[in-house]
Parts: sequence; C-alpha cells; structure tokens
Amino acid sequence: MKQVLPPGMTASQMDRALKAMARVVGDDWVLATDLDRDTYLDHFAVDEAAHAAAAAVAPLTAEQVAEVVKLANAHKLPLWPISRGKNFGYGGAAPRLKGSVVLDLSRMKKIEFDTENGTALLEPGVGFYDLYDYIQQNKLPYWVSTPGNSWGSVIGNALDRGVGYTTYGENTSKLCGMEVVLPTGELVRTGMGAMTGSPTWNLYKYGFGPAWDQMFVQSNYGVVTKAGMWLQPAPESMIGLDMELENVGDLEWSVDLISGFRRDGLLVQSPSIGSWLRGAAVLTSRKDWYDKPGALPDDVIAAIRKRFGIGWWSISLRFYGYEGVNEAAAAVVQAAFAKKSQQAFKVTRWKQGMPLEPTPFQGFPVTFPLANAAWHGGRGGHIGYSPVLPSNGRAAMDQFRRTYNRYQEYGMDYHGSFSMSERSITNVNQVLFNKDDAEMMKRVNGFFRALVSDATERRYGEYRTHIEYMDLVAGTYDFNNHALRRANEAVKDALDPNGILAPGKSGIWPKRYRNLRT
Amino acid sequence: MKTPIRLQQIAWTLAACAFSAVAAAADAPPGKPLFTTRCGMCHQTNGMGVSILSRRPADASKGLLEARDDLSAEFVYVVARMGTGNMPRISRAEVSDEELREIALYISRGKP
Ligand SMILES: Cc1cc2nc3c(=O)[nH]c(=O)nc-3n(C[C@H](O)[C@H](O)[C@H](O)COP(=O)(O)OP(=O)(O)OC[C@H]3O[C@@H](n4cnc5c(N)ncnc54)[C@H](O)[C@@H]3O)c2cc1C
Repeated sequence: MKQVLPPGMTASQMDRALKAMARVVGDDWVLATDLDRDTYLDHFAVDEAAHAAAAAVAPLTAEQVAEVVKLANAHKLPLWPISRGKNFGYGGAAPRLKGSVVLDLSRMKKIEFDTENGTALLEPGVGFYDLYDYIQQNKLPYWVSTPGNSWGSVIGNALDRGVGYTTYGENTSKLCGMEVVLPTGELVRTGMGAMTGSPTWNLYKYGFGPAWDQMFVQSNYGVVTKAGMWLQPAPESMIGLDMELENVGDLEWSVDLISGFRRDGLLVQSPSIGSWLRGAAVLTSRKDWYDKPGALPDDVIAAIRKRFGIGWWSISLRFYGYEGVNEAAAAVVQAAFAKKSQQAFKVTRWKQGMPLEPTPFQGFPVTFPLANAAWHGGRGGHIGYSPVLPSNGRAAMDQFRRTYNRYQEYGMDYHGSFSMSERSITNVNQVLFNKDDAEMMKRVNGFFRALVSDATERRYGEYRTHIEYMDLVAGTYDFNNHALRRANEAVKDALDPNGILAPGKSGIWPKRYRNLRT
Repeated sequence: MKTPIRLQQIAWTLAACAFSAVAAAADAPPGKPLFTTRCGMCHQTNGMGVSILSRRPADASKGLLEARDDLSAEFVYVVARMGTGNMPRISRAEVSDEELREIALYISRGKP
C-alpha cells in the first residue's frame, strides 16, 4: 500500500513526525514501508483500503507511549492505539480514520501476577496465549477467560467489551484499575492506583470520587498502558450440560428458562445458544454441501445437521465451583428443562486432577473458530452484527425471525447466536462472505445496514461494531437529539484539544475532524 | 458412515490436547520455540491454520506446517508478511524480520 495521509497533512509533515517518533522508540519500531502498511490492513474487511494506516509506531514502555502522544500533539498527527490488533470482525488493527498512525502496543508484554488475590496487572501486548502459558509455567491456580478468537490481547479484548465463556466471561467487568496515557501525554492511574503505591489498586474498582475505568473502554479518551484483571480461581469441579434443540421455535422457551437462571444467579456463566452453522463452518466448506448461490435451503441444512448430529440450536451450560453446589444447581436446571422437552442433557463432569477440555469453557485459548472465514472458499471475510435484546424468549424469537429473513433476502447463510447475560442477550451474528465473489461483496453493505435498521426499529442498539459502521451505530443512540454524542464529544474536546487520539472511534469525533462524520 | 460429531465438540474441541508454549523443548532449533510462541496459536494443534489447510487442499497431511517438507523459507516469509487466503498479514512489531527468518528456516528445514 502506497503512503496514505490523514486529512490536512502533507507527506513531509508526516515524515517529520515519524522521524521525531523514531528518536523515542528507535528506528526499528517505526514501521512505514508499503509492506508495513499492508500488515495493518483489516484482512477480513469488505474494503481494506478504506481504513489504511499511514504507518505504525511500536513503543515498549508507558514512558515511550507518553512521548509519542506528546509528539502527535506537536505534529497534529492522529494515532490509533491497538493492543494486539486482532479485532477481526470489528476492524482488525486498522484505524477508523484513514491515514492515522497505528500505535501498536503489542511489544508491551509485562505480567505482574498477584497469586494471593488472583489478579494480574497486564500490559496491552499480553495475549491470551501469553497469560495462559504464564499460569501453566508458574502452576498458578487460576483460569483465563478466553474468547473464541484468543489470538488477541487480554486488555484489548476487555477494552472492546469482549467476552469469554466461563463465570468470568464478561471481561470488561473484570477490569480493576488502569494506567492510562491521556491524549495530552499525561500519565494517570485510576481507582486506588491514584494513591502512589496502593496495594488495593487491582482489588477495589472505584477509588475515591468518580470511577473512570469504563471511560477508557470503547472510547478515544486515553491509551491504556496497564490494567488489572481479575482471574477466576481454578474451580474444584465443573459440570457441563449440553443439549441439541430440534426445532427453530425451541429458542423461545429455552431462552426463557435460561434467562430465569441467569437472573436468580443459579447460572453464573453466560451461555451462548448457537445455530447449526457455527460448527459446520469451522469444519467444512460450503461447497461440500451446496454449489448454488443464495442462502442454504432447508434440505441442505437438514443434511448438515444429520451429518454432525446437531440440532437447529445447540445449548452448552457450564457450572463451576464446589462439586456439591454444582450437582445441586445442575439438577435444578435439568428438572426445569425436562418439563419442556423429552430430550435429556448430555452431562459431562470434570474434577481437579482430570485433564482439561481444550476449550474456552475451561479457559483454554483457541483460534480454530476463525476457520469459519473459509466457509465460502475464496478469501474469506466477516463482519459482526451484535444487537442487545431484553432477556426473554419472545424478543429472541422475534429478532431471530427478522434477522433470518434478512439473511435469506440477501442470499447469505445464517450464522447467529444468543449470548445470555444477567438481564440482556447479545445476539451475535457473523456475516461470513467471500472476498473473491464480487457479486456477493456488492450485497454486504446493504445487508448490514438493513440489519442495523431492523434492530433500530425495535430500539435495539449494537454492543460493538466494525470501524466502518461506527457512525451508523452511534447515530442510532438518538435520545434527545443525540445528547449523549454531544456529551461524548464535549469530553473529547476537553481531554484531546488537538483531536489526535483515535478520531471517529465509536462515532466520537474531535472538533478538528468533526466534519468527517458519515 | 461418518461418526456424528456433537456441536459442542465442534464448536470448541478439535483435538485432545491444546497448544502450549510450555511444551517447546529446550534443545530444539532456535526457530522451533519462536514458531511455537509466534505462530503456534494457529499453526499447531487446534489452530485455525491447521483446520483450514487440512481441508483446503483436501489433504489432511498439509495441515501441520512442522510436519511438511514442501515449504521454502522464502515462501514462508512472504506468506507471513503478505497473508494468504484467511491468514492475516503479520507485522514486524509482532514478529521481527530476524525472528521470521529463523522461523522460516525452521519450517523449510533449511531450504532457502
Ligand atoms: C471467528 C471469530 C470469533 C470471535 N470470538 C470472539 C469471542 O468469543 N469473544 C470476543 O470478545 N471476541 C471475539 N472475536 C472478536 C475479536 O477477534 C476478539 O475480541 C479479539 O480479542 C480482539 O482483538 P485484540 O484483543 O487484539 O484487541 P485490539 O484489536 O488490540 O483492541 C480492540 C480495540 O480496542 C481499542 N484498544 C486496544 N488497545 C487499547 C489501548 N491499550 N488503549 C486504548 N484503546 C485500545 C482499539 O480501538 C481496538 O480497536 C471473534 C472474532 C472472530 C473472527
């Protein structure tokens, strides 16, 4: 990729800024060749060039980050921070604003582990595999909450409100205390960390006065250089209950049952109810089943389900902790399901001392779910569409039907799941496409916009979105003529007067670039 | 007839043991531990690369790069930096040129 520049900047201004940054991080860590620029493109995107970076700068310490940020102010250069930049489905490593310089924190890999309290103070470059290996090497009695794509960063994932599949699965809620470089270059610590040397920085979330950790999540208000994460103590036992649901309509009653158990706290893990394509797209390619365009017809869906012995929906519930408590909880859930369905759960039991199941259910890092991008053959890609619904079966079923019809209308294969929190459901839909199929690629944008518009009609908003659609999604949060956006941008202008940090992230534009809102 | 595979297995479980960098042997060639920590998440047991490569040329033996003898160092270098199919490009911040050369040498068994 030839050099791209941010609006209003010349090549020689960019060159001067990068040279100044090289004096801070070292020549080797300013990455500005054509090939370097390519390595920061979003490999899974519909249009990679739309979000190309001008270069990347990769500091090693918080002090270097602060110096780079100060230089960005001096040179009016927009930066886009990433931890490991594996945000596939949401933009990868690529910036919202074309021509930004990626502030790549992947070299910052320090881990400070508090074994007694089960917390880890992590730098952003620490990946799920790094933390998992650290725990194994040091034989620590803790589990990591790993996402379906664990190639990324523990902190990066939590900063985008990512999820894992154990009781600690809501990763952003396990953040406790941060170190942040503000857009002016000042280094602050949040919560108890604001007291120099406090031993409770990563133990108590709020500190004294306003608590700011969530202010740095999905925002462009600071560069997180360290954050505390709480880790799940390795449980004494685990019970797994797995069920294949035969009919599309079974979604409704099963969501209602699980919602109740999530609300009353019997089930602490956030289970996800997923459709048949979730597994099929990882293990096989579409051409193994069907060679025509358009959404897969019912008889093909039936063949896939038969081959893998799966339902229209699959549910996996997990109970963690003391054995007696798990047994009692699982029995209550089994009895409730038995009233609705003849089918029995497949029960698995695990205890300390047994080998771990190599899945995120037991905190293993994995990447194989990414193989679903190869579903269509060709160069695969994917964007995620994930509205938040109220936690009840009617809402889930209604949302499913409209979404399914849209997939059919646009000739795409349905890939949806319902992730159940305590009071809400995140309906994660993967839009899998084939970048070598020009005709299909023309449909993707219209399809995505139709999905957002359907959700907005029901007043459902997305929990997270691809960089290409950040303005679209932010625009759906419209109460009082977009009062929250005005508030967000007032904060932005106060903290970042030169508008250098991640302009446009989450639809928040600094004054300097506000005219670029789409 | 093929044995049916349960979805919960398909969804998360593809093999009996997961990758862990801990397993890298101390006396292995220098490219081996680097390959494990930088590439192993996708190109060792359970990885996305193994899954896709095993089915794409319809030849399961192509899945594990460490078991292959048909890759040149140049090819490994170019694919890592430029990406291919579903493999995203790997930046120099994530794997430096020097590290990538070691890895390429290891995977190519010394073939330039
Ligand atoms: C098949 C598939 C399955 C997936 N499964 C899951 C899943 O189960 N759960 C899940 O959560 N995700 C999932 N993902 C999405 C994504 O791949 C992961 O969330 C991944 O962890 C994000 O990449 P990362 O951790 O490298 O974060 P990054 O890309 O580094 O960061 C994410 C965003 O946070 C911001 N940010 C990062 N670091 C900083 C910082 N230090 N300071 C300020 N801002 C920062 C940046 O804007 C960045 O864009 C999946 C994706 C695919 C394709």
